Amino acid sequence: MDGRVQQTEDPWAALLLAANAGDGQAYARFLHTVTPVIRGIVRARGRSFPPDQHEDIVQDVLLGLHLKRHTWRPDHPVRPWVYAIARYKVIDAFRKRGTSIHLPIEEFTDVLEALAEADPLTARDDKREVERLIGQLDPRSAEIVRAVELNEEPQAAVGERLQMTPANLRVTLHRAMKRLASIAGKGE
Amino acid sequence: MDTDDLIARLSASPAVMQINLARMATMMAAAVVIPLVIFLAVCGLRPDLALAWTNPAVPFKTFLPLVVCIVSVALVLRLARPEAASGWLPWLYAVPGGVALTLWIGSFVLRAPEARFAEVSPVALAECLGIIPLLSIIPTVVALRILRQGASTSPSLSAFLAGLSAASGAATGYSLFCTRDNPLFFVTWYSVAIGIVTLIALRFGRRSLSW
Repeated sequence: MDGRVQQTEDPWAALLLAANAGDGQAYARFLHTVTPVIRGIVRARGRSFPPDQHEDIVQDVLLGLHLKRHTWRPDHPVRPWVYAIARYKVIDAFRKRGTSIHLPIEEFTDVLEALAEADPLTARDDKREVERLIGQLDPRSAEIVRAVELNEEPQAAVGERLQMTPANLRVTLHRAMKRLASIAGKGE
Repeated sequence: MDTDDLIARLSASPAVMQINLARMATMMAAAVVIPLVIFLAVCGLRPDLALAWTNPAVPFKTFLPLVVCIVSVALVLRLARPEAASGWLPWLYAVPGGVALTLWIGSFVLRAPEARFAEVSPVALAECLGIIPLLSIIPTVVALRILRQGASTSPSLSAFLAGLSAASGAATGYSLFCTRDNPLFFVTWYSVAIGIVTLIALRFGRRSLSW
């Protein structure tokens, strides 16, 4: 394929060519033109991400295009270049965020508040003291606290071992931590 | 930040220079050649170089790593553009790979059992496995820095190739100093030395080429 034909045919190429030569208006138009396309790619490929993160990834792609805009060669088609960067950045987003399960923070506000008040386990580094506090819980709660908070086992694994649903486990853990906080508070 | 704000900010940036692959190649080559010239100026070429090359197996010691170096530089620069695929270039590795394997097997068969690994000694290994990685340090670091200008969408592969091109370039120059002409020695231990550098480059270069 002749690159020069491609360049005059594709408005993206004309805009990016002018942009790389320092035309800010053309650059803004280029970015505005590609953004909906990138949004589509992110939406299609990033279905496992919550929608509120899609726009972050779109912006990551735009930044990637910006930082690497000198790697597009005007004698090459521009679209494969844009798509390659979009794909790389979406995969990058998977690598960065995909490993940790993302849950909207709103569901946990009560837990987070409770922890902010007093984290009975980190406040005391004395192991015997922690053990004494946990010993005052019922055995099941104590086991959950030990596994999740002290041994940092994933909640899913603990739930499976104790045959509890994730929601049930979370609630039990939350209550246990609250009770620990109040026990610890009394002891002082 | 709002995406429109981001675009407004980005579009205020100045013009950029288009990536210059030929210049990158020249700088990578210089980073290989300059340490080699210094090394050979200080330590000297092997005294019997011309005579040694009359043995048909010996020039391979220089040309095999040279071919690997050239292919690796070409491939890694190709991958510096995000949309590029490696294409047919990796198949070129089959040429030095096949020749090296043939040379190794041929030497193994032709030599008497006691002569096969006669050159393997702690001194010889220390020299080979010491000097090649040492001569690779500067070209590897320079190659990784230069490649950051590019936009490889497979940073691991690019870091691997940066190490491979640097180490095979270093081995090419080292071969003019090294006096061990048994292919069983140089095929094996040059490969090990190149492999060590390549894996280190992969391990530590991968992150520097991510963007």
